[in-house]
Amino acid sequence: MASHEALRHLTIGQYIPADSPIHRLDPRAKLLAAGGLIIAGVVASKYSNVLFLALLVAVLVKVAGLRLRSALANLVPVMPVLLVMALLQILFYGGASRSAGPNRLLVEWGLLHISAESVRVIVVTWARFVALFLLITLLTSTTTASALTRGLEGLLRPLDRLHLPGHEIALVGAIALRFLPILGEQLEAILQAQASRGVSESRSRWHLLANARRMAQVIVPLFVDAYHRAEELILAMQARCYHGGKGRTYLIPFRSRPADYVAVILSISLAVLAGVLQYSTLP
Amino acid sequence: MSEEIVSVQGLDHTYLAGTPLATAALRGAELCVRRGEVAALVGPSGAGKSTLAHFLNGLLRPAARRQVVVFGQDTAEPSCDLVALRRRVGLVFQYPHQQLFERYVGDDVAYGPRQLGLAGEELRERVRWAMEIVGLDFESFVDRHTFSLSGGEMRRAALAGVLAMRPELLILDESTVGLDPRGRREVHALLRRLRREEGLTILLVSNDMDEVAELADQVTVLYAGQTVLAGEVHEVLAQGELLRRYGLSSPTAVEIIHELRRKGLAVTSGAITPYEAEEAIWQAMKP
Repeated sequence: MASHEALRHLTIGQYIPADSPIHRLDPRAKLLAAGGLIIAGVVASKYSNVLFLALLVAVLVKVAGLRLRSALANLVPVMPVLLVMALLQILFYGGASRSAGPNRLLVEWGLLHISAESVRVIVVTWARFVALFLLITLLTSTTTASALTRGLEGLLRPLDRLHLPGHEIALVGAIALRFLPILGEQLEAILQAQASRGVSESRSRWHLLANARRMAQVIVPLFVDAYHRAEELILAMQARCYHGGKGRTYLIPFRSRPADYVAVILSISLAVLAGVLQYSTLP
Repeated sequence: MSEEIVSVQGLDHTYLAGTPLATAALRGAELCVRRGEVAALVGPSGAGKSTLAHFLNGLLRPAARRQVVVFGQDTAEPSCDLVALRRRVGLVFQYPHQQLFERYVGDDVAYGPRQLGLAGEELRERVRWAMEIVGLDFESFVDRHTFSLSGGEMRRAALAGVLAMRPELLILDESTVGLDPRGRREVHALLRRLRREEGLTILLVSNDMDEVAELADQVTVLYAGQTVLAGEVHEVLAQGELLRRYGLSSPTAVEIIHELRRKGLAVTSGAITPYEAEEAIWQAMKP
């Protein structure tokens, strides 16, 4: 298919305006809560815990008024990686025992030994991946880039005493986020221009030299353009008297509401609970 | 009537279809270009002009058959040879810096012909021809760095890169925007020459009504993704009221004649270029 629209199909990191309880949360609270849930997701590795977490995030996606299906559609490009990972785990997890136990053998067929433990690892990895992916999508779809930046800046403020440039770090992150879709469009335009001048679409991937040359023909104009944009951005910022974060005030100051505290407390408790459930010796 | 080389009928296109960010760019667009003519595609920003242009060389492909037929090929057919199509349809993009990608001007102009299999002396001659015709001196520009060119030179280099493939249909997507008056005059003279000497068919995507009046034979007006007006250039450009409603303006000559008639001078209307206006005013003033 020769349609050059594929790059714009990536909606990761794209803010989708709506009015939902999650959209209304203070960005600082959202960042902290997301952090708590990420920790919970990384710690949890039992079926029940990790599936509960994936379900919880899916419910949050619904609460935010996003379409679960289009959020999940972004997972398609990484499917091959997940499949290869699952295959390797089935083949090489090993350690299966014939007696009943946590790692009992489920299927034995020639060289193939599928144990209960390898199945658990695969299911948990997939569920964790989906949960974390949805969580990041949720965060970026319900928070504008500028709100994220200010949230991050707000969270880094206590580090000012250590002379850590919180504002500047947040700004660098914001500019990087802001420029991703622009670079995507630029890349698309370059590929279109090259296709228009007779590049044949399907060339064997074994033409290594030709492909390396093609890559340079795409990367070089992309970088030249990015540097031009950076220079223009600097001029625009200076023209508007940008002088860093010191003494800067905001049009709409953050005001934390009870809902924000609830979100942060709940997600941090979840992280603690996940840790306790994981490492407790209770049955 | 000469052969119809582009036929677009009832073309729809939605960017990002099926996502929350879907936007309809074309809803039932129509376009017809005949061999040897200069056709103009006009419309306000966001009307879908560039999107339509991208359909004509197969960068975008329609969902249904018979919607886009270029040189007798239906681009919706899976068997349609896009590479062959793109060799016949040269597309000059809106922003030239997006189109240049080789390090040296000479290499960039040679890119298309190289893909066609040209080499050696033949390639060199082709590049020399393309560069000279757009007014870039071969000896002094061939080894210049592409990204050190000025805006106007970049436009010329981009045009040369497309012309070097000797296309039969040349599409210029707002390719004179940002040129100074002299640069624009030179491009206009070049287009006339290409048409006269090479028999090139040209599709001009433009907002500049004076330019359209100057060069085009046929005009198609696109508004919000729909073809709202199409016909011979004098017929279309005379409809000042309608053009204004579609966010466009009339050529300066039409405005002047309109004002003079309003003030009571008995000028015949129908002039669209400064030359025609001068003729009409002279006729009206002649004792």
